Amino acid sequence: MDLIAALDSLVPELEKGLEQAHTLDALEGLRVDMLGRKGRIARIMAALPTLEPSERPQVGQKANSVKERCNALFDARKAELEREQEEIALRLFDPTAPGRAPWRGTLHPDTLVTEEICRIFQGLGFTVASGPEVEIDHYNFEALNIPPEHPARDMQDTLYITESVLMRTHTSPVQVRTMLAAKPPLAVVAPGKVYRRDSDLTHTPMFHQIEGLMVGYGISMAHLRGTLTAFVRAVFGLGTKVRFRPSFFPFTEPSAEVDISCCICGGQGHVDGQPCRVCKTTGWVEILGCGMVDPAVYAAVGYPEDVSGFAFGMGVERVAMLKYGIGDLRMFFENDVRFLGQFAG
Amino acid sequence: MLLSLSWLREFTPYEGTVEELGDRLTMLGLELEDIVHPFEAIRSIVVGHVVACQAHPQSDHLHLCKVDAGQEALLDIVCGAPNVAEGQKVAVALVGTVMPDGMVIKKAKLRGAPSLGMICSERELGLSEDHSGIMVLPDTFVPGKPLVQQLALDLDVLDISVTPNRADCLSVLGLARETALAFHLPLTIPERPLLVDEHGPESVLPIDIQAPECCWLYAGRVVSGVKIGPSPMHIRHRLRAVGVRPISNIVDVTNYILFEAGQPLHSFDLDKLEGRRIGVRLARSGETFTTLDGQQRILSQDDLCICDGSRPVALAGVMGGLNTEISEASVNVFLESAVFKPATIRRTSRRLGLSSEASYRFERGIDQNRSVWALDRACAMMAALSGGKVLRGLSFCEPKPFVPCRIAFQSSHVDALLGVTIAQDFAQETLQGLGCSVQKDETSWLVTQPSWRPDLTREADLIEEVGRLHGLDTIAPKLPAVAQNLDRASEPESRFAFWSRIKRWAAGLGLNEAINYSFVGHKDLERLGLPQEGRISILNPLSSEQDVLRTALAPGLLQTLRNNLAQGVQGLRIFELANIFEADASSETTARETGMFGLLLYGNRYDGGWPHLAVDVDYADLKGIVEHLLHFLHLQAPTCTLDKEHPFLQPCVRLVLENQELGVMGRVKPDMADAWLARKDVWLAELNLEVLRTLHDAATVGFSPLPVYPPVRRDITVMAGSGLRVADIETHIRALDMPLLEHVTLVDCFTPETETEAVRNLTFRLTFRHGERTLKDAEVDKLREKIANSLVQALPVKI
Repeated sequence: MDLIAALDSLVPELEKGLEQAHTLDALEGLRVDMLGRKGRIARIMAALPTLEPSERPQVGQKANSVKERCNALFDARKAELEREQEEIALRLFDPTAPGRAPWRGTLHPDTLVTEEICRIFQGLGFTVASGPEVEIDHYNFEALNIPPEHPARDMQDTLYITESVLMRTHTSPVQVRTMLAAKPPLAVVAPGKVYRRDSDLTHTPMFHQIEGLMVGYGISMAHLRGTLTAFVRAVFGLGTKVRFRPSFFPFTEPSAEVDISCCICGGQGHVDGQPCRVCKTTGWVEILGCGMVDPAVYAAVGYPEDVSGFAFGMGVERVAMLKYGIGDLRMFFENDVRFLGQFAG
Repeated sequence: MLLSLSWLREFTPYEGTVEELGDRLTMLGLELEDIVHPFEAIRSIVVGHVVACQAHPQSDHLHLCKVDAGQEALLDIVCGAPNVAEGQKVAVALVGTVMPDGMVIKKAKLRGAPSLGMICSERELGLSEDHSGIMVLPDTFVPGKPLVQQLALDLDVLDISVTPNRADCLSVLGLARETALAFHLPLTIPERPLLVDEHGPESVLPIDIQAPECCWLYAGRVVSGVKIGPSPMHIRHRLRAVGVRPISNIVDVTNYILFEAGQPLHSFDLDKLEGRRIGVRLARSGETFTTLDGQQRILSQDDLCICDGSRPVALAGVMGGLNTEISEASVNVFLESAVFKPATIRRTSRRLGLSSEASYRFERGIDQNRSVWALDRACAMMAALSGGKVLRGLSFCEPKPFVPCRIAFQSSHVDALLGVTIAQDFAQETLQGLGCSVQKDETSWLVTQPSWRPDLTREADLIEEVGRLHGLDTIAPKLPAVAQNLDRASEPESRFAFWSRIKRWAAGLGLNEAINYSFVGHKDLERLGLPQEGRISILNPLSSEQDVLRTALAPGLLQTLRNNLAQGVQGLRIFELANIFEADASSETTARETGMFGLLLYGNRYDGGWPHLAVDVDYADLKGIVEHLLHFLHLQAPTCTLDKEHPFLQPCVRLVLENQELGVMGRVKPDMADAWLARKDVWLAELNLEVLRTLHDAATVGFSPLPVYPPVRRDITVMAGSGLRVADIETHIRALDMPLLEHVTLVDCFTPETETEAVRNLTFRLTFRHGERTLKDAEVDKLREKIANSLVQALPVKI
């Protein structure tokens, strides 16, 4: 029965060994040494065939109970070690260490504002149209009731390619192209780049505009006011006041400029007692030009006389500057990532 | 247009504030730009009375004055002016006054004598250039009162932005009309009766208009026996207040009436007019003429000239000639008042880059019915100021009299266009208030245009006026119902929407959107070796940096890189969606505009530090992003081929898909990138968005059932000599056409250092799968073997 004694002696020995095993590797070494195919138990049991068959079941049972006991001891110690390691890991864990940040991408503020504006008008039933940036004089001026030598040409300094081809000075030629291509009723907005021969603190030779055109039957100035009021509120907030001031554009009649209550000083004209630099104390800032389409434009595109409609145009950078409080127009085209990074996607 | 409030008040009794007037005019479409106070700097100057004046004992030119400046005690003031004298009324700057030039008047001692102020000259007050002596004021002025008040100076001036259609508002008269209408005030034009010298000779100059289509009216009168000198103070100061430099009592009158009545006038020295006759004709091409400013001008046959018996004497409507200019010796003046065709004047003014107050008004339109009235008004004023006499006789020729438009008008059309109900009475009163005459019929009115409103020729113009006076801002806003068209509803995605999605994709991926100018410099394109052919130049560029439209996005992207490098960035990932431009004779606009997606990668691959590796971007980053985009657009991987001819990329990889050129990607040649200050490799791609959009629109997305049975994988490492490309191996394996081979993926690429020649160990992972059963190891091993053998036989590789 010395096999039983040998088996019995394994447990206290293991208990001692486990106390000294401080790593999972050491633990595994012990386990293999004890329970492996060539481990201590296996070696003891190798002598089993030398016993009388009647003794074998007893030894077998003993061996099983020792194995069970050993396994239980191993598991307990393993759990203990794992818990310790978890604790160590937790002590070492630094939640303030930086993350492995994926790249941060950004959209240009012109894109963000253009998309927002187009989305608002799409919600009102407008579709988005586009046209070429190099344009012929006819579409950019003449069809818009601006014949050669008209003083209104002074309003837009033009970059020319040839005498009759130019960089479009506004997105309004898309109006003409749209009407030539489709019959009324229609409602489009046309965003895009426009060009002027002008470069100083408040002008860049290229900037972005969004043109709007709605032509149908029974369209009135009240509809223009409704559409633009909805737009202004959507972009600048419900509390924004809107003011329509008569003005002049050759391709609309009546024409108006639209002012909104200054979003910097809240229409007060002053910020902390200082004159507001954006509205120059008037409390209003100009945001777009608009009007009812001039009959001469309908004539130029061959539309019937009984249609009516409105058009409007706005500068995207202007809206972006007001919306984000950007003071310097030229930043839009320097593409400094410190600028671009502020508006995200 | 600078409008003096006190001048305006001579025409209409407006009593409100200048701000209120500015607001009201703004809401009538005459936008107030600014309110200026031209004499603000001398507001604190007071009138003084020189009670006593004696020579300074210690000086040969200073005077010791005792001045009553309205204070309890007389002031001692030392004055160095030669003309100072006892009994004069003078302008006094008291101690503490800040002069227009910034000098502060302080208590002083001049050669021992105390001085408590300064007696001022006109130049010291900024009122003229005169510094010959102190300014002597009229005796009626009251000591101690502010000078600006006693001089009745124009203290408030409105700067009004007049739109091109409102020619009539480029005058005090016109703005007074608007003010009167807006505030329900009468218009009271001050009389300037013309007194003709009934006993003197008649003087009528013959007028021969050879270009009647360009000169609609020409009138003139002779003022004889004038004595040239400065205008009286109030005229000079008023002109200064509206930004005009006073010159003489003749020229000042023409400017004064121009501002008051809006009619440009020109005065000739009659004695220099050869033949004492006037001709109006178009110039001969190449004819030269010296304008008043001393510039010799070369004329074209589009320019209109005023001539005397032998030569041009004025560039019609733009500027007079030096040869007939009023001088100090002039005695007889011929004063011209004319109306020219606006387009003619504008063309000349623009061509010569010569814009004047006169040309500005002629371009916009003149009230032809008031031309002679303005002439008479000017003659009356000129005679009064210069001591001359207006001779009998009006020189006059009017080839094209003003014919007012008669416009059919229905008040229901007002309501329809404005979307508001406007009382007929209001419409009628408004139109009449504007100067229209209204003839009422049962259904429609007949409205006659006033001569001063060239912009009112159609019903729409009249509706605008009614709306303007009613107030556009009071129309109740309504949202329109937008009629939708079924045919247009199913159109493919718009260019805008497609671009928008790509921008969102790029930003989502971690790229930063840039927007660069569409124009660059020819020299930028040259730096990149881009061809001259097909470029579109700007005819009138702002600078040589912006004189051509870009034929590639690269120059703009590189400019963005340069801007950011100047700010010290270590890495950049920039994209841009924009058009490039190439000449195309078949295009209506002579240009072909192609939408491109541009991508530039530079420097650090990652923005942050730890735990990211500090490595630079390379070709794999660029290609990975490009392939990601194609996958995003449901497109297959493109064929990549090396292009050794590309002007600025090396290596340059050309991307082709379904026989269409998608674009290029590669590294900007380092010597070229130098020009944009790049110190590391610049990786750049440009893809054609028009092609991508077409392919994307045609791409279909189909569903494949998910496999049920497991895959079996085998790796195979190929030792490939230099020149053998990954795609060569992949293509060869795929060409074996094994139905069970699902994927071939490169999983490792390793170049052992020991090899003398560049040999790469390329490890491909082969994935096999059977659709209907689990594959056995043995059969997969066989397939791998087959691939390995085939590679060794066909390609210069070792396994």
